[in-house]
Amino acid sequence: MIKSKTPFSILDYVYKIYHKDAGKMLIHTGTISWILSSAAQIFGIMINDKIPKEQKMFLIPQEFADAVFNILSFYIVTCSFTGVAAKMVNTGKWLPSNVKNYLIKNGFKDKIGKFGFNILKDAKLTGRAKRSFELYKNGIGVLAFTAGSILSCNVITPLSRNKYASARQQQNLASLNNPNPALQNPQTHREKAKAVIHHKYMQAFMNRGDLKI
Amino acid sequence: MSNLSVKPLFSYGRKASRWLFDKLPSVELKNGKVLNGIKWAGQHISSPQNRVILGATALMSQPFIDLHNRNVDEETRKVSAARTVAKILAGTTTGFFVRYYTIKAVDAFTHNPIKARNIMQSLLFPKKIINPTIKGMQQYRLALGTYISLIVMLFTNFLIDAPLTKILTNFFVKKVKDYENNKIDTHIMEPQTQINSPEKKEEKTSNNPFIAHPSMDTFLNRKEAK
Repeated sequence: MIKSKTPFSILDYVYKIYHKDAGKMLIHTGTISWILSSAAQIFGIMINDKIPKEQKMFLIPQEFADAVFNILSFYIVTCSFTGVAAKMVNTGKWLPSNVKNYLIKNGFKDKIGKFGFNILKDAKLTGRAKRSFELYKNGIGVLAFTAGSILSCNVITPLSRNKYASARQQQNLASLNNPNPALQNPQTHREKAKAVIHHKYMQAFMNRGDLKI
Repeated sequence: MSNLSVKPLFSYGRKASRWLFDKLPSVELKNGKVLNGIKWAGQHISSPQNRVILGATALMSQPFIDLHNRNVDEETRKVSAARTVAKILAGTTTGFFVRYYTIKAVDAFTHNPIKARNIMQSLLFPKKIINPTIKGMQQYRLALGTYISLIVMLFTNFLIDAPLTKILTNFFVKKVKDYENNKIDTHIMEPQTQINSPEKKEEKTSNNPFIAHPSMDTFLNRKEAK
C-alpha cells in the first residue's frame, strides 16, 4: 500500500464539510465566486494606469458597494431557499413514500411534519431507507439552490442593478446640466473625487456590468 | 432593564413560525419518476451543470429585463441587452469548461492510496478520513474541483471573459444596427441621412478605452448637448 504524503489537512476539512451536502458546497463556492469576481474587478481598477488616482478613490468604494450588494443578494436568497427546503425534508413535510412508510412502521406517525422533528437524529434511519432519504435530501438541496440562484442572479440582481444604475445616471445628467460651481475648480481630495464622477467617460465606465466568475 | 428585554418577542416569533409550519400541508412523493429525477439532480448537478442552467435561464430573463428598462433611452437599452447577452455567453462558456476540466483533473489525483500506482494519484486524497464512502468521495471531488476552478477563473476572467465579452458585445451591437438600418432602407426610405449624420460618425471614431461600445458615449454626448 502506498501512503499518501500529502501535507494538506484542508482536504480532510473539505471532505468533512461537503461529503454529504452538495447544496452547501454550491452555496459556498457560489458566494466565493462572487467575492473573487468582485475582487478581480477592484484589482482591475487598481492596476489600470489609465484611471487617475482621484477616479480610483471613487471607483474602488463604488465597486465594493456593488459587490457587497450582489454577494448579499445571492447568499441570502439561496440560503433561504436551501434552508427552507432542508427544514421541509428534515421534518418530514416533504417525504418520499418509502421513507414515510418506514417512519410510520417505527412509530413516528404523529411526529412526521412537526417543527421540532428531525428524521436523521430522531428516527435513526437504517439501510435502504437511509440511503434513499440521503439521496432525496441531496437532490432537494441542489434543486432549491438552483431555484434560489436563478431568482437572485437572473431576476433580483439585474432588476435592482438597472434601477440603481439608471437613478445614478439621471442624477449625474441632472448635475451636468446644472453644474456645481464648487466642483468646477476642486481643491480638496473629496471635491476632486466628486468632480470625476461628473465626467461622461466615467459614467460609461461605472455603469458597465460585472463579470461573474 | 428587564422590562425592555426583546427575548419575549423572539419567543413569540418562534412560537408563531412553529405554529405556521405545523399548519403547512405535508407532501408525500409517490411518483417514481419524480423521485428518481430529484435523486438524479442531487448526484449529477454540480457546479458546471449549475453554471449552464444559470446561463440558460439568464439568457431567457436578463436581456428582456434590460430591454424593458424604461429609465434609460432605447439605444442604451439595446447596448445594455447586447452586453448582457455577450457577458452571459462568455461567462457561461468559460465557467462551464474551467469547472468541468478542473473537476476532471482533481479526479485523477484523488485515487484511494490502496489502489494508487504512485503518490501523485493520491495527492489530493483526504488522508485523515477513515473509510470514505464512494458517494462522499464523489461530492468531495466536486467540491475540491470547484474550489480550484475558482482560482483558475481568477485568471481566465481577465484573459478570456473580458476580451470575449467585448468582442461579442461589439458583434451584437453591430448586428442590431445593421438590422435596423436594413429595416429603415426597406420601409422608411431615408437611411443615408441617418447613417451619415454627425452622431453616427462620432460613434465610429470614438476611442474611449473604458466603454465596450461607443454608442454609450454617443448617448452621453447627446444628453450633454441638450
